[in-house]
Amino acid sequence: MQSNLVNFVQVLRTHDVRISPAETLDAVEVATSLGYSDRSLLRDGLAMTLAKTPEEEVIFMHCFDQFFQQGLADFSTEDMIDATSAEALANSTKDTNNNTEASATSPSTALQLAAESNPALQSLMQTSLMQSLLNNDRNELTLAMNQAAERVGLQNIQMFTQKGQFTRRILDAMGEEQIRNTVISLEHDESPALSLLQRYRDRLRDQVRDYVEREYLLQAEGKTKQFMDDILSKTRLNNIEHIYLHKVHELIRKMAKKLATRHSRKRKQLKRGRLDMAKTLRKGIPHDGVMFNTYWRQVKKEKPQILAVCDVSGSVAAYAKFLLLFLYSLQDVLPKVRSFAFSSHLGEVSTYFAEHPIEKAIELVNWKYGGATDYGNSLLDFAKLAMNDINSNTTVIMLGDARNNNGDPKLEILQSIYQRARQVIWLNPESRRAWGSGDSEMLRYQSACHFSAECNNLKQLERIIDQLLKSSR
Amino acid sequence: MHTQNFPQLASVEQIERGFETHGYICSRKIATAVFLAFQLRKPVLVEGPPGVGKTELAKTTALLLDTPLIRLQCYEGLDEAKALYEWKYGKQLLYTQVLKEKLGDLLQGAHDLAESVARLHQFGDIFYSEEFLEPRPLLKAMQQEKGAILLIDEIDKADYEFESLLLEILSDYQISIPEIGTVKARTTPMVFLTSNNAREISDALKRRCLHLYIPFPTVELEERIVRSRVPDVDDQLRQQLVTFVHSLRQLDLKKAPAISETIDWARSLLLLHADHLDEELVRSTLNVLLKYEDDIEATNSDLHMLVKDSLTQQ
Repeated sequence: MQSNLVNFVQVLRTHDVRISPAETLDAVEVATSLGYSDRSLLRDGLAMTLAKTPEEEVIFMHCFDQFFQQGLADFSTEDMIDATSAEALANSTKDTNNNTEASATSPSTALQLAAESNPALQSLMQTSLMQSLLNNDRNELTLAMNQAAERVGLQNIQMFTQKGQFTRRILDAMGEEQIRNTVISLEHDESPALSLLQRYRDRLRDQVRDYVEREYLLQAEGKTKQFMDDILSKTRLNNIEHIYLHKVHELIRKMAKKLATRHSRKRKQLKRGRLDMAKTLRKGIPHDGVMFNTYWRQVKKEKPQILAVCDVSGSVAAYAKFLLLFLYSLQDVLPKVRSFAFSSHLGEVSTYFAEHPIEKAIELVNWKYGGATDYGNSLLDFAKLAMNDINSNTTVIMLGDARNNNGDPKLEILQSIYQRARQVIWLNPESRRAWGSGDSEMLRYQSACHFSAECNNLKQLERIIDQLLKSSR
Repeated sequence: MHTQNFPQLASVEQIERGFETHGYICSRKIATAVFLAFQLRKPVLVEGPPGVGKTELAKTTALLLDTPLIRLQCYEGLDEAKALYEWKYGKQLLYTQVLKEKLGDLLQGAHDLAESVARLHQFGDIFYSEEFLEPRPLLKAMQQEKGAILLIDEIDKADYEFESLLLEILSDYQISIPEIGTVKARTTPMVFLTSNNAREISDALKRRCLHLYIPFPTVELEERIVRSRVPDVDDQLRQQLVTFVHSLRQLDLKKAPAISETIDWARSLLLLHADHLDEELVRSTLNVLLKYEDDIEATNSDLHMLVKDSLTQQ
């Protein structure tokens, strides 16, 4: 049971529940102190040590039910064999063997009778697999199946294409081959026991197939997911299919959260070197004015304010979706983010993000602000909306390709932003070589940015934002 | 704390029954958590929406075991001096003055510096000793002879750094005081931490705790809770009001009414001598259940339907 518990932990890990070895030990302890007799009690107890958030608890419950699913389906043959065919079987064996006792209505006796004339069947009847099938011994069968699965390494299953292969291997390891051969020999003899044995065989196959399916869902789903995540984060954003949008959203959320926790710590900083005389005196009063403790001037670090401006025009449509996605997630995890979107004119979209679910918000933004690009006009709008809020604590992130349809770039506005803000960052989805070509104003805008970079996949995005947050502290 | 000392905690069922006698009706899951916390000597991190009885759980456990409840309310800026211990500066000051007077006697007849220093050492240093230590909740919980229930309330309100401070206490039940050494708990206290999820608790802390999430209760459970807390409300009204609160929770509200609000509401209805719900009554007492003007306004328009539903759903 203990190793079973460890396997279960492994399964949870592939489903994105983070469990440390210490927690595994705790789980073992929980299991010993609660005992295995009460299923729901054990489940609740394990959930408390292994699942650490309500979301993880949902995953846990799902996995628990799958993993500790009890037993196999019924192998008893009452529903498999109707009375007439059993009778026919019994009659035919009576004829061939001149057996007067015609009581062979149960399948095992029927098979036994048939076995007398068929050596293959006879030897098959001796095997433990066939015995447990006939006796409907589900515990024995489950055990055999588990052992076979372990022998063929079912826990390494990774892709759904491997399901058939593993089913075959497990069947072989359980000794199903002998049944198969016997079926062939019975076919040859045209024995009446044929259909009966065939049904046993099919039942067994179905069970093993179900078992592999279940195991695949438990083991491989997670692995496939990891694989996908890996690929997705390295793909250029405009190449990601729309159907993966949701998955990317999850990824981005994770990433934004990671960044936020990494950078949300230290808000206060002790500035050693300058004594806070007033506070030191004040705190000394209860001790007869003796200054026991010294207090140093503290500087409260303000949380950085981030203004993100995103181009949603046609030329960057494919990127814009993901950049908006990123903005959305950022707003979720960082408290002071204001988002703006523009193509020909610009407006604040923070409220859309706050009030609507992601797909709806992006749709709204595109509908409201989509169109032909006019950077000059949009910068004007931006200055009107936000210039007064820009101070030495503000970081402005521009997301766009800087292709202005040969209009007036209004560089001076960006320059005044550059002078007031702590940081102006420009992330351009085009590769650096294309900057300044055609109607791109990137090179000119670049002069009014503290930092500009090419950014077209999630890995790059994460690295850049990480740097940004580090320097904005 | 050992099982022998507390037969009240011998099994999950017993805990459930024990809580019930103290008026705390809990689900099996909660009882399991308390049982495990006791068996494994692990703290319990209790999460859930406000008002579902997180703090009450610790209080009831203290009642059940008849041990003192030591409570530490967390807030932003909570630090060692308020949570762990502080030196009694005033007393230390007096001590140094007494020492100064004694110094003459002590050093009388010493020939040279080395000898006086040696005598000083012999004298023993109690300047930093337990006598001058002012215990704060965490240290106090460690010092209890017969064990205690330690409630660290709303841990999510405290700073991130404070969590790291707790790690030593929660995993080894000891506190390191640099001047003295390590203070071990005389009897392991039972620790409850509560959180409203204002921010994410660090993994290190979560790892050391059993995780208990208390959701809003089911209708049956809530009815039992109201019955035990406000026994004078008659059956029909109780059913109606619990059903109504449940339908409120289905709505999209800023703050859904919790158990504590249900109990308050039941009490107010009792004061108004109501024996069944009607729209007017609900409208005039809705402010007991909903704490935001927006929520009240949003609900007012559907009130007719909601009341009707809760009257028929029985």
